[in-house]
Amino acid sequence: MAAPPRHATMLSISNGDKPAQAQPQTQQTTLPQSPGLRVPSNRKTIYDRHLNRSRNAESSRASFAFLFGEMVTYAQRRVTGIQDLEKRLNEQGYPLGLRLLDLLFYRSTSTSSSALSSSSTSSSPPNRPLRIITLLHLIHGPLWRLLFGRAADALEHSVSPDTPNEYMITDNDPLVNTYISVPREMSMLNCAAFVAGIIEGVCDGCGFETKVSAHNQPTDLWPSRTVFLVRFGDAVMEREKVLERSGVK
Amino acid sequence: MPSTDRGVFSLIIINKAGGLIYQREFQAGLHKLSTNDYLVLAGTFHGVHAITRSITPKIPSVQPPSPATSSPSTTAPAASSYSYPNPGVPVTGLDYLETDKFRLTCFQTLTGTKFLLFTDPLTGNVDTIVQKIYELYADFVMKNPFYQIEMPVRCEAFDRHLGAWLRGRA
Amino acid sequence: MHKIFQIFQVYTYVLIYPWTLLAKSSPLITHVISQTPANSPDGLSLHTSTLINRDRPKMSYYFTILSPSDTPLFNIAFGTSKGGGDGIARFRFPETAQYMNQFIIHSSLDILEEAQWTNGSMYLKHIDTYPPAAAYITAFLTPSGARFLLLHQPPHLPSSTGSSGLGASSLLGSAGSTTRASSSSIAANPTSPQTEEAVRQFMNEVYENYVKTAMSPFYKQGMEIKSPVFRTRVTAAGKKWL
Repeated sequence: MAAPPRHATMLSISNGDKPAQAQPQTQQTTLPQSPGLRVPSNRKTIYDRHLNRSRNAESSRASFAFLFGEMVTYAQRRVTGIQDLEKRLNEQGYPLGLRLLDLLFYRSTSTSSSALSSSSTSSSPPNRPLRIITLLHLIHGPLWRLLFGRAADALEHSVSPDTPNEYMITDNDPLVNTYISVPREMSMLNCAAFVAGIIEGVCDGCGFETKVSAHNQPTDLWPSRTVFLVRFGDAVMEREKVLERSGVK
Repeated sequence: MPSTDRGVFSLIIINKAGGLIYQREFQAGLHKLSTNDYLVLAGTFHGVHAITRSITPKIPSVQPPSPATSSPSTTAPAASSYSYPNPGVPVTGLDYLETDKFRLTCFQTLTGTKFLLFTDPLTGNVDTIVQKIYELYADFVMKNPFYQIEMPVRCEAFDRHLGAWLRGRA
Repeated sequence: MHKIFQIFQVYTYVLIYPWTLLAKSSPLITHVISQTPANSPDGLSLHTSTLINRDRPKMSYYFTILSPSDTPLFNIAFGTSKGGGDGIARFRFPETAQYMNQFIIHSSLDILEEAQWTNGSMYLKHIDTYPPAAAYITAFLTPSGARFLLLHQPPHLPSSTGSSGLGASSLLGSAGSTTRASSSSIAANPTSPQTEEAVRQFMNEVYENYVKTAMSPFYKQGMEIKSPVFRTRVTAAGKKWL
């Protein structure tokens, strides 16, 4: 399986399609129904559903566990090793992160009780994150709440001067790993690589080039404690310095 | 009301083919069998269980005295004249086995997996314990993508939660 | 024609930017470009139509969604519908509008990318003007990096033939606000607060529909948006707000 295309996808405009609708006469009429489109019998397309309809809905933990289990099994086919498996899980999560980002912002703008801004309950749309810290807070708080119903447990910055681009988000008991016991011969594997992929998608979507990986850091109290290591790219760090100098928050 | 008994001794899980897939003791100082003996025990129990199920006696089906029809020729065919006492309930086979030192409870799931729980004869609420163990099995074994069905159970989360729950109960 | 168009699109980014700079700094070129079509028959016909509806100028709009990697995902052209507008775009240079609008929009991307990192809001308001075509660019950035760009072009007025596009618009704006300070005046001045607010509403509505598109399991980020329902929705939003 080839790696799914990422952000830099360039799609050529298919030749059968009409070019840009710039002629003054043609653009007003609705497009002829393309033969491939099938509208449900109740005439309700996804555009007729409100995005907040399932805002407070929760899916069953058991069905999620089975679904995720099958995803892991699927990713496990024809893998060459643990790294390969983690990469595939990461790739499964990545597009999800890109989507969640838009949904997260839409939901926080369209409701009065803003889920994003922790400080005020203003209905004005939240800002796109420009700085690393704002982005990480967005992931640590709102994104985690959207996904798992609670905030992540810790957010740390690397203290080593060699790696100022490394941040860590800790989850004491990742939902995805609740029912998973990794066999001893694969002890390095952490299936939360899927969540790492989601984080990567969110960061990339915001314009922060990142590599995220999931690592096991069990403690006696939290046997499946997982640390997500977020490594920002050099370009991001450079921009961060520029933004800091110009006082952008 | 669990008294001051010694509670749950050990647990054995047998797959539907009669193979041992899980065996664990919960108390120290129990007399242990060798791995091979456990396999034999599981296979033997599986066979005995199947026999007990097939020798379940049937009783002659009682023809309800029908006052309307008084004809004497209403003898049903011989094959259907015997049935289980309660046809709606499937035949389970061996449910429990008791000695003066322990009690073995057998719980069979719909898919044919058998849970054998060895407890102190005085332990109460064994059904609840078995149900909980079944629940933990369904959660931490069946939802684990790395578990291959019908194969020996090696799930660290199952061990952990099972131990913690039994400890919390004692 | 279509092939050529594609090739142009690829090079847009390289070609346009220095040209815009040049056009902005040199009034001579601006003058020449804006002058030429006034003599064409098309320019004349526009001229007369604007004379009739003088108090309610009809704006022409060109709306594009670009992926984070600058691939066009969706294009639509439409005109003012408020205040009796017929919702049909009448660009100043109809024969070149099809690709010029694309050029102009792409040429504003550099400015957009600068604004992107200083202003955290999704709606970035009016970011760029291209005087030769009197084209105003308004931008909206989704958090996932898709850019919604709206080009608006006020109609060609007789008074504007001599001066630059910017001057014309300010003239127009004052005329609109004195005659009718109603909702229909948003068409008059592309940089007025009312226009910005109307465009914000439009953008927000498109954003909602864009999120619905993005949430579809059959849609991958960076794919062209082909859904006719989406197009209808955007058209409706244009009618409602612009």
